Amino acid sequence: MSPPPETGRVDNRVASRKTTSSRPTPPRVRPRTWVVAAAVAAYTVAAGRTVGFNPSTFWQVWSNPLWEKFWPIPWDWVLDRHNVIEPLIETFQIAIVSTILGCGLALPVALAMSPLTSPNRVVLVVTRSIMNVGRAVPDLFWAKLLVTAVGIGAFAGSWALSVFSLAVMVKLFSETVDGADPRPLEAARAAGGRHMPVVRTGVLPTVLPEYVAYGLYVFELNIRASLVLGLVGAGGIGRVVEAQRQYFRFDRVLGVLVIVFVVVFVIEQVSVAIRKRLV
Amino acid sequence: MMEAYPSDGGRPVAPRRAGRRWGLAALVVVAVVWSISGLEVTMDRLLSAPGNAWDVFRRMAPPAFGEAIDRGVPGKVLESVHIAWIGTMIGAVFSLPLAFLAAGNVSPAWIRTPVRQLFNVIRAVPELILAVILIPITGLGPWAGALAIGIHSVGTLGKWATEAIEGVDPGPLEAVAATGGRWVSGMRWGVLPQILPVVTSQWLFRFEINVRASAVLGMIGAGGVGSELVSQLVFRNFPAVGAVLAMTIVVVLAIDTASAAVRRRIIRGAVPGADDGEADRNAAVLTDLTGIRTP
Amino acid sequence: MIEFKNVSVTYRGGVRALRHVDLTIDDGEFVVVVGLSGAGKSTLLRAMNGLVPTTEGSITVGGTEVVGARSAELRDIRSRIGMIFQTFNLVHRTSVVNNVLMGRLAEVPAWRSTLGLWPADDREAAMVALERVGIVEKAYVRAADLSGGQQQRVGIARALAQEPSVMLADEPVAALDPVTSRQVMGDLQRINRDLGITTLINLHFLDLAREYGRRLVGLREGEIVFDGDIDDVTDETFLEIYGRAITDDDLKASGG
Repeated sequence: MSPPPETGRVDNRVASRKTTSSRPTPPRVRPRTWVVAAAVAAYTVAAGRTVGFNPSTFWQVWSNPLWEKFWPIPWDWVLDRHNVIEPLIETFQIAIVSTILGCGLALPVALAMSPLTSPNRVVLVVTRSIMNVGRAVPDLFWAKLLVTAVGIGAFAGSWALSVFSLAVMVKLFSETVDGADPRPLEAARAAGGRHMPVVRTGVLPTVLPEYVAYGLYVFELNIRASLVLGLVGAGGIGRVVEAQRQYFRFDRVLGVLVIVFVVVFVIEQVSVAIRKRLV
Repeated sequence: MMEAYPSDGGRPVAPRRAGRRWGLAALVVVAVVWSISGLEVTMDRLLSAPGNAWDVFRRMAPPAFGEAIDRGVPGKVLESVHIAWIGTMIGAVFSLPLAFLAAGNVSPAWIRTPVRQLFNVIRAVPELILAVILIPITGLGPWAGALAIGIHSVGTLGKWATEAIEGVDPGPLEAVAATGGRWVSGMRWGVLPQILPVVTSQWLFRFEINVRASAVLGMIGAGGVGSELVSQLVFRNFPAVGAVLAMTIVVVLAIDTASAAVRRRIIRGAVPGADDGEADRNAAVLTDLTGIRTP
Repeated sequence: MIEFKNVSVTYRGGVRALRHVDLTIDDGEFVVVVGLSGAGKSTLLRAMNGLVPTTEGSITVGGTEVVGARSAELRDIRSRIGMIFQTFNLVHRTSVVNNVLMGRLAEVPAWRSTLGLWPADDREAAMVALERVGIVEKAYVRAADLSGGQQQRVGIARALAQEPSVMLADEPVAALDPVTSRQVMGDLQRINRDLGITTLINLHFLDLAREYGRRLVGLREGEIVFDGDIDDVTDETFLEIYGRAITDDDLKASGG
């Protein structure tokens, strides 16, 4: 026996002397992984070229004299009633109407889309297919289409955001409905209820708090979305941003953005507080 | 009559919650009425709107595919995909290291808090606004779109990755520390292997969303198919619009399906015997989106 | 009267839950059904109100044929059959009385129940049902805030609110402790005796059956292997039903 080692470490020599089996060869990395990795890398490079990847932008952004156009913020213009406050109020109104309309419709749609609460298979499949196709269309495409159809302005903006609210709410809420406890539904059916009363008494009380919480969240999203909606001419504060952008008055743009983010932040805090109490 | 239980005679009184509910409902109604009044809604506009919308959609059929192909719309749709891909790559590359700095279990508070706030601020800015700010610097074209998507993705991917890191099993980390390894080694060997499947899956999920975003960015000239939509709409060439929509939908659905399949395989391969975790991931995304913990 | 004639139930995966079951139950009887898990007890009960479709045979409840009944008829049959469940199946987030009102679903017009505008008579019926099981003072408490035994009594009240002629109980005490189990079994026995409601109870353990039951039906692999007075149960009977000899543990319900 060799003398014990000075450090506290285990004497590996003893252990290895006892081994009789040979060491296995390390497994080869599957060639398929390499092929996939290479393909992804190649695609990335090609896509980068197509897109005009230009790393110099990263420091151009910092040094560009155009930054001067963003500063200083003309607060007197920004805080004038007509320029920002009134469009913001309009944004609020658009958000309220769109949330109510979109989320209101989303309730029956989400119920129709869930196997737990759908009245029959046909309704289930049809609603799901329509929603899947609708979701594949980018939201602002919808907005642009509706603006073309219905005309520019806050009215069109409400329609566009209603569609957007419907889509977001359905996605969020149908997950909740799918995960609801199905057992009270069984009890309601066993008592002889018809479909809608069964759903109303058996599952709605369980999912309603989530529904309201999501509704508040969608309202928040709608306020934020009106910023971008204005870029397609659909009213609200976004209209102001777009107009100033077209005049290259980026300092005003920044001012508006600052105000909007403050408002959104406040609404968000209030909304989170209410939502915590609901769920 | 069953006499099993001595009745104390007292039926409880119904609580007053009903009154509060009606009050809330009234408030909502007032808010809606006030909002509608500010929206230039007139009766004839209200009645004609659905009709007009239906009219527009009706005129999109049959879609003018031939014309669209001649004009190079498929190429534009693909360009949107490339933009989304590069944007997602940029987001992924920058978000992952930053996420390590933002995670509660591996980073000290004085580094962690500013990084998390950075993520929040970036996430709050929609890609469209970012593009608006970038175009004066980069000029019009796909690079502005890719960069806008990339920067915004850093925020979202960063937040998701941070949550993934905070959810790891601390065992391997401990093991690395016990061998005297440095912090970076701990991250590389103790944390990274655990989170790589989830994070890769998050990147793919973000890619799906970014494809839609890049299509939209085209509308302000940041490359991709959005510009086609806008120009055809201006000329009210609805069959062409229909073609653009149809092609976009097909590509988006295809990418969604492929990405979902790949994500399932990644997750399934990572955890033997587990389900694809789709439900868990969706729940995580939901929690992220709403700040609500769904059970 | 309930009558099973040559009833077979085969599930979609090929599992044969009931095989050629013949059973007659007179009005007002108190029947306990025992058997292993998977023997077909649940299926037997659920075939009666159509929650599970019958593959072959005929089931009549009070003269009405259940097999092949269309939705309106089925709802009518279900309204006459009250059911209580092992997991209580209450809506946790709402009040006790709202849960009991679910028993009135078949009597109240659909639009009223959908909007939550229950008529006064039905509210009264719900309160009476709660009084019958002795927890009316909890009427406006959230269902989730009650104990297991209390929740099951709410379930019983819900079934009673239907004013049924038949009561089906699917392992009603499996999730309860021994003391509470006896309370619930006592309630069911009293309901049967005082209100004359035909009662069928699925149980896992024989001891509760012996204490409370009169007629015993033993199921094994979808077939009835015993049907008779509970006092006639012998060790051979036990072997027939459970496929093995009786042990001391089997004589005591563990409540699980």
